[in-house]
Amino acid sequence: MKRFGTAAAAIGAVFAVALPFFLKPFGIYVISMWAVLTIAAIGLNLTLGYAGQVSLAQGAFVGIGAYTVTVLMQAGWPFAAAFIAAGVLCFAVGWILGYPALRVQHHYLAFVTLAFTTLVFLVLRNEEWLTNGVYGINGIPRPVLLGWPTGKALNFYFFSLGMLTVLSLAAWWMLRSPWGRAFIALRENPIRAQSLGLDTRRYTLMAFAIGSSLGGLAGALYAPLVQFIEPNSFGLGMSFNLLLMVIVGGSGYFFGPFVGALVAVLLPEWMRIAEGYYLIVYAALVMAMMAFCPSGILGFAERAFKSASRGSQPAPALRAEGAGP
Amino acid sequence: MSAILEVANLRKSFGGVIAVDDVSFDVREGEILGIIGPNGSGKSTLFNCVLGQLLPNGGEVHVDGRRTTGMRPCDLNRLGVSRTFQLLQVFGQLSVRDNLILAGQEHQGSMYSRLIGRADAGLGAAADQMIAFFQLSHLAAENAGALSYGQQKLLDAAMAFMGGPRLVLLDEPAGGVNPTMLTHLRERLAAYHTERKATFVVIEHQMEFVMALCTRVLVLAQGRVIAQGTPHEVRRNPIVIEAYLGH
Repeated sequence: MKRFGTAAAAIGAVFAVALPFFLKPFGIYVISMWAVLTIAAIGLNLTLGYAGQVSLAQGAFVGIGAYTVTVLMQAGWPFAAAFIAAGVLCFAVGWILGYPALRVQHHYLAFVTLAFTTLVFLVLRNEEWLTNGVYGINGIPRPVLLGWPTGKALNFYFFSLGMLTVLSLAAWWMLRSPWGRAFIALRENPIRAQSLGLDTRRYTLMAFAIGSSLGGLAGALYAPLVQFIEPNSFGLGMSFNLLLMVIVGGSGYFFGPFVGALVAVLLPEWMRIAEGYYLIVYAALVMAMMAFCPSGILGFAERAFKSASRGSQPAPALRAEGAGP
Repeated sequence: MSAILEVANLRKSFGGVIAVDDVSFDVREGEILGIIGPNGSGKSTLFNCVLGQLLPNGGEVHVDGRRTTGMRPCDLNRLGVSRTFQLLQVFGQLSVRDNLILAGQEHQGSMYSRLIGRADAGLGAAADQMIAFFQLSHLAAENAGALSYGQQKLLDAAMAFMGGPRLVLLDEPAGGVNPTMLTHLRERLAAYHTERKATFVVIEHQMEFVMALCTRVLVLAQGRVIAQGTPHEVRRNPIVIEAYLGH
């Protein structure tokens, strides 16, 4: 299973590098969007999939990140500094949003974070002096990094892919460290975890803060990618879409967000041939997927792989299950 | 011998129900204290109050002479006090080995040093030793959820020992375990006790288990301590027979 997963990841990486050379600018824009939203989904997967804290606020953090980087760049900050500031700000706001999670869980927590998303939307819409309200902000420049302009679609795609690589490696490192184990323990049984010395309070806040920070960094790439931001982009729709990516890909699987974001970004584009019906078809597909594989695409793949390898050698597996006192 | 745990006038009520009613006792360093009593006599609530899962309404708890009333369970655990729960609580989606590493990792360095340190927090060898000690080596890589009930019960106990605790509170370690596994579990507990000079407090219904393992027994009924003494004294005490052993 592990070797199979590594091989699949390697093939995916080759595809991610080679694909844009065969695409028109709009196609490159779409896969850039995939790279950017995958970063936000990795953050949500951390909070929801690993640490088990339901959040409907990830879209709001993408918004906070996007507006932070835009406003700071308008004020003359270099992109790199504004990018880091977006991550730090979302880390801090995410930490604060984690406090309700210490008191409420599951769907109650979903409501708290849903209210937060609405709050952020209202602030972005109403504080016109800062955000230009419903008109949004137009003509956001793409940065020049160490003399390398990212203005062209292909360049910006590779910049986004590079950031995705760096941030997913950081997330991978954290999840394989004792923190990853602690986050899973938090999801499975916080009371037992605490009796084993885990400071569940600090780990919960960390799960929120780091997940939100990744949302903010994704937003900081979203703004120069689309070059136009408005409050509506970061409403509940975005949060639900990111939640969909995590669940469809496979919540709690490291590569779940990569697969989920691919489905959520590409499927609507491919469905355009169905014209007016495309949203209906898309919704039906998602519902069918949830009914038949609630653990997501990667959960389904894992099960299929396990039953295939068991099918080739059934006797030892049966014996192992029947054994024991 | 000095007292490692002192409980003084502990009280806890839920609404009108007084679950723990003015309970006081000491646990001496190195002993294995059994706590018995009929269902609903307040044994588990007593554990929860001592270990910070519940806040008592009154009374005090001292560990090593230090007041720990109201301290968070994770802080208490890092002071060297560990426990198991009455209902089985292992992490089903982690492997047996990861369950044990998790149980010890918070005792290694600070939270932030663990983030950049080794993936197994330097506990790989210790976990393998513990797995061998509880004779679970053939299952080390399995998810804990795939183990049989008795095996999970062993793992649950093993986890309580990973941080190298000096005081371990076990809540019905024998509950639902078959006789063969039970003897095995008792042997493992006794061996750990001798090897590490640890102190145990054990809640148990299984009288044979208590008689074989414990050096002293405390009897609770309706939230009060009604008797204490050696297992044999308690067994013959008429008050205990009426409250608990009375057939």
